Amino acid sequence: MAITTRQTEGFTMPELEYMAQHESITIVPLHRMDRIELVRGTVGPFRPPQKTTVPLWLAIMLKRTNRCRIVAPKWLSYEHLRDLCKREEQPDAMFTRLPTHYLEIAHMLLTYAEDDFVDTQAVRRLLQDLREVRQSKTHEGLRMLNSLQLQMDNLSAAEINEIRPLFRHSFDMLRQLDGLAEATEESQQQSQFADQSFAEMDDAFGSKYVH
Amino acid sequence: MARRNYYDIDDILAGQERVPCVLRADLDGLGSAGSGGGTSKVQRNARWGLPYWMADRLNEEDYVDMEVSPVFSKRASRMYAASPESMQLRAICQHFYQFGLQLGDMVPEIPHVLRNMYVQRVYKVARIAQQGQNVEALDFVQSLDKTEARMLKLCQQAQSAISLWHKNQAYALKRAAVVAAAATAGAGS
Repeated sequence: MAITTRQTEGFTMPELEYMAQHESITIVPLHRMDRIELVRGTVGPFRPPQKTTVPLWLAIMLKRTNRCRIVAPKWLSYEHLRDLCKREEQPDAMFTRLPTHYLEIAHMLLTYAEDDFVDTQAVRRLLQDLREVRQSKTHEGLRMLNSLQLQMDNLSAAEINEIRPLFRHSFDMLRQLDGLAEATEESQQQSQFADQSFAEMDDAFGSKYVH
Repeated sequence: MARRNYYDIDDILAGQERVPCVLRADLDGLGSAGSGGGTSKVQRNARWGLPYWMADRLNEEDYVDMEVSPVFSKRASRMYAASPESMQLRAICQHFYQFGLQLGDMVPEIPHVLRNMYVQRVYKVARIAQQGQNVEALDFVQSLDKTEARMLKLCQQAQSAISLWHKNQAYALKRAAVVAAAATAGAGS
């Protein structure tokens, strides 16, 4: 199978969307249904108007065939996103907590389930702002790059995927350069040591060898 | 000599850079190997520019004395340390970092200088990728060497991938045609 360059450097966005569809989401089913046993879990009986939890892919499928209404997750509301934005924009703040696949989930819900949300334009705008602030923060984090470790908490899957090629190649190059720096320092130290005479080395190691 | 990858094309190309050497022995019949050409008798102490891979091996066998290439001379490394972002790496040496890795143990300050240079230039590359290319950045982009240019392209691809997907223009994961055909055939029969 032929693989594109994009696929060797990390995940592609449709693949991440596919993986995000395993997350659970609450829906209100519109028709009765009995329990179904699927490979990755059981989807419990639907008794409208009781709310149930289903995987996202099933929710999208039901929504497209008009068999359910989706309940917006708590973090995808205008107020919550606005608070998060304010907290992100404070200087020297770490990344705020967001679900790992928040970009993909938000995209899918806003595309397929627009009528279940209160204010989609504002939510979209807030998501865009949030994303831009986080992007500029990852950019600042690039300055702290060293060959050993870099810690950035609370980055989502799509954002990690975005910076993966840059950081990976930079880490490789820095590791090689640092390895070279260590090797030259070691060889310099060794040649300094070799210049010492044997008498000096005996003094350094104590008089154990004197008989 | 830190030869990393035997099969890596960039390493091979980087080792092709010429390095000045002083011949230690009389080499008859090899006059056309140097950058002069024509004469077949070569004297001792003639100065030649040989590719690094050749010069390194001959240096160990004591046929030549290899000297530091002008790319990494003391004066050049002071220039790199002073202003890393304005150096025209494409004009100096297209595989700058790989060549530095190979030549690195000859001049002791080179690894640190290279490292700082890399971090600063890559930071600028990432910023250009994020903001999209504009006119002022064009000079900098033209001065990148091969590794940095590849990094710029990767960053731009990553950015455009997300924005395309957001506009629903990325490809969609669909059922394969073979599977769909088999399903309809199975359902029909």
